Amino acid sequence: MELTQQDTNSKENRPEDPELDLYTIPSHSSWFSWDEIHETEEVALKEFFDGSSITRTPKIYKEYRDFIINKYREEPSRRLTFTEVRKSLVGDVCLLQKVFRFLENWGLINFAASSSEGEIPVVGDDERSKVKIEEGVPNGIRVVAMPNSIKPISALPSVGNSGDAADNGFKMPALASYSDVFAELMKHRGLVCGNCGEVCDSGHYKCTKDDLLICVKCFKNGNYGESKSVDDYKFNECFQNSGNHGALWTEAETLLLLESVLKHGDDWELVAQNVHTKTKMDCIAKLIEMPFGEIMLGSVQRKGNSSDLNGNLNNSKQVHLPSAEHQENAKSGVQHDEQTNENELNGDTENEGPPLKRKRIASLLGDDGSLMKQVAHISTMVGPHITAAAAEATIASLCEENSLSREIFDGEDECVTNGLLSPTADYEAKRVLEGEDSEIKERSSQSEDQDASCNKDDIPLTLRIRAAVATALGTAAARAKLLADQEDREVEHLLAIIIGTQMKKLNCKIKHFEHLEMIMKKKHAEMEELEEFLISERISVLQRALSAGVPRWRGHSFVKY
Amino acid sequence: MVMKGQASNSWKSTAVKFRMPTAENLVPIRLDIEVDDQKFKDAFTWNPSDPDSEIVVFAKRTVKDLKLPPVFVTHIASSIQSQLADFRSFEGQDMYAGEKIVPIKLDLRVNHTLIKDQFLWDLNNFESDPEEFARNFCRDLAIDDPEVGPAIAFAIREQLYEIAIQSVASARESRISKKGRRGAEYALASKAGSGAVDIVKLFGHKSSVLRKRKEWDVYEPIVDLLSNEEVDALEAREERIAR
Repeated sequence: MELTQQDTNSKENRPEDPELDLYTIPSHSSWFSWDEIHETEEVALKEFFDGSSITRTPKIYKEYRDFIINKYREEPSRRLTFTEVRKSLVGDVCLLQKVFRFLENWGLINFAASSSEGEIPVVGDDERSKVKIEEGVPNGIRVVAMPNSIKPISALPSVGNSGDAADNGFKMPALASYSDVFAELMKHRGLVCGNCGEVCDSGHYKCTKDDLLICVKCFKNGNYGESKSVDDYKFNECFQNSGNHGALWTEAETLLLLESVLKHGDDWELVAQNVHTKTKMDCIAKLIEMPFGEIMLGSVQRKGNSSDLNGNLNNSKQVHLPSAEHQENAKSGVQHDEQTNENELNGDTENEGPPLKRKRIASLLGDDGSLMKQVAHISTMVGPHITAAAAEATIASLCEENSLSREIFDGEDECVTNGLLSPTADYEAKRVLEGEDSEIKERSSQSEDQDASCNKDDIPLTLRIRAAVATALGTAAARAKLLADQEDREVEHLLAIIIGTQMKKLNCKIKHFEHLEMIMKKKHAEMEELEEFLISERISVLQRALSAGVPRWRGHSFVKY
Repeated sequence: MVMKGQASNSWKSTAVKFRMPTAENLVPIRLDIEVDDQKFKDAFTWNPSDPDSEIVVFAKRTVKDLKLPPVFVTHIASSIQSQLADFRSFEGQDMYAGEKIVPIKLDLRVNHTLIKDQFLWDLNNFESDPEEFARNFCRDLAIDDPEVGPAIAFAIREQLYEIAIQSVASARESRISKKGRRGAEYALASKAGSGAVDIVKLFGHKSSVLRKRKEWDVYEPIVDLLSNEEVDALEAREERIAR
C-alpha cells in the first residue's frame, strides 16, 4: 500500500508513517490523486477525453498513467525512460510519449531521479559538455562508472556561493581542479627548510624522529637543529615534478583535451595532435591532475588506497576539523588515518615522486561521493577521542603552512565554540560561514600586505574555498550523524511498538479462552441440573404408579390381558 | 456493434486528402544507384513542397561532397524526381483515414548498430513525429552514432508511406464497390492495409491496455553493437542477396 505524500520541493523525509512509502512530488502537482482524473490531465491530454476513439478513453488513460507512475516508483532513484515503459503498454507510441512527457513535466515521475545519469557527454556536443562542467564543477563529467555513487554533493560551487553572500566575485574558472584550489600554495613554496627557511630544490633531509626538514646546505653545515645529530636525518631525493607542465592550461585547451580523450581514449598521439599547444606528456599530466582524471584513465588505484587518500586529503579535511571537533563520532576516523599518515603529509608531497602525487591529487573534491561514504563508514568505527587528538595534531601542522590559515582556524574555533550551544548542524554551518565571511574580509585586507610572490587574488580565494569545502563536509557529516541517531531511535521505537502489539494479541487470546471456559462451565452446570431433574421425574412417576396400585411390569404378556 | 455507441467521428466519411500521416509532410526517398561498379546508396526525407529546382542542386552537391563521378548527378536527380512524382500522383486522391493502429517494425543496421524493434503507431494521428520518436529512442538507449536516429525516422516514414498508399488504393476500391458505407468502412478497417491491429480486441472494455508480460520482449527494442568483422560479414551477405 502506498500513499503519495506531497511535499514541497524539500528533500526531507518526514518519517511519521513508517508503514507507508513516501514519494516526493512537487507541490504544484498536488492535484494528483490515484482514484481520479484531474482537470489538468483532461485539459493536457484531451485526446483521451473527447470520445473520438475507442482507443482513447479515460479508463485507458488511467491505466497508462498508473502503470507508468508505479513503474517509476519501483525504483525512484533511477531515471525512467520512455523506452522502458512503452514495451509494456499497448497503444500508439506517439500518444504514449505524450502521456509520459506530461507526467514527467509535472514531476509525477523522475522527480527524484538523478539527472546526471545517462547524460554521458556526447562527443562534439560542445554546448552540453560545457554546461555540465559549469553546473557542478567536480561532478562535471561524472560518468556512471561509479555505480555506488550517492547523490552528488555539490560541495564546491554551492557552498562557495552560499558562503559568499557578502562577497561577490567568487569566480573560479569553469574547470577548477583540486590542484588549482589546494595545490597553489604548494607551488609557491616548494619544500622549505626547517632551519634556514629557504626552498629546498634538490634533495632534503628528513629527520626520522621529528618531522623536520632541512635542506642540503644546512645538513652540510651541520645545522641540524636542536638536539639532533647526523644519524637522525634521512636523505630524500627530490623528484621535482615539472611543476607547471609547460605553461598554464586555458579553459579552451582543457575542453579540447577532454573531448579528444573521450574520442580517442588512450591514443595519446591523437589527443596531443588535437590539443595543438601541448605535448603528449602535458596532456597526460593535466588529465591526471583533473578531478576525474583517474576515472578517465581507468585507474583502479583509488579504492585500494582509501586510507592513503583520506590521509592525503590533508588540507580540506583538516580545515573542517575544528567545526567537527565537538561532534562525537562525527565522520572522521579519517583523522585517525591522518594521524598515522601524519609524517608523510607534512610540508609538500610534491617531492615524494609522481605516483604519490597522483594519488594525492586524485583524492579531490571530485571524489566527494566516495569520500563521504568512507567518512560515514569510518565514523562508525572510531571514537571521539581519536578524533580530538588527531584534530589538534593536524591543525598544528596545517598552521605551519600559512599564517593566514591559522587565523581562519582561530576564527572558526571561536565561532565553533559559540556554535556548541546550537544543536542543529545547519545553524552551526551558518555561523561558521558567517564567521568565515568576516574572516575573509579581514583576511583580504591583510593579504594586501602579503608577499608579492603569492598571487594576491588567489590566496583569499583558495583559502576561502578550502574553508568552505571544509565546512560543507563538516555539516554533511554532522547531519549524517544526526540522521543516524534518529534512525536508531526510530528502530527502537518501532521495536517497542511491535512488542506492544504482540503482547496485546496474546492478551486478547487469553481472554478469549477464558471466556470459552466460562461458557463451558455454565453448560456443564446446566447439564447436571437437567440430569437431576430427569431423575427426580422418574422417581415421581414410579411413585405414582406404585401408589395407584399398578403392579410392576413383568413384560409383554401382562399387557395383553 | 460496439463501435456504434462511441462518438464516432472516425466512422463517418473520413476521406482525407492523401498526405503523409505525420506532422511534417516529408517523403521518404531511397537511392540505390550503381554505375560502372560504383554503388551509391542513400535514404533521406524530402519535403515535397520544395521547388523541383532544388533536386538538381541537391544532386550536384551530393556528388561533390562524396566525390562521386559526375554521371551520378543525373541518376540521382532522376531517381528523386520519379519517387516524388509517385508521391504526387497519390496526392490528389482520397485516402481512408479511419481508426487504424498499425504495428511498425524496425530491423535495420546503421554502421555498427543493429536495431530491432516493434511498436504500434496510430495512422490517424496526423501530428505524429517519427523524428521525435527516433530522438527519444537514441537518447533513452544512449546511442552514440548520430546516423542512427535519422535512419530510424526514415524507416518509420517508409512504412507509414507504404500503408498510406495502400489505404488510398482501398479507398478507391470502396468507392467502386456498392456496399453500404458503414459496413464497407468497418470491413476496410479490418482488412485494409497490412494487418492493422484489432482495435476492439485490444482497447475494448474487457481488455487491459497493459501488455502481457510474455509479450514484453517482442515489443522491446534490441540494440546491438557489432564488431568490424560482423559488419563486414553482414555487408557481404547483403550484397549477395541483392544480386
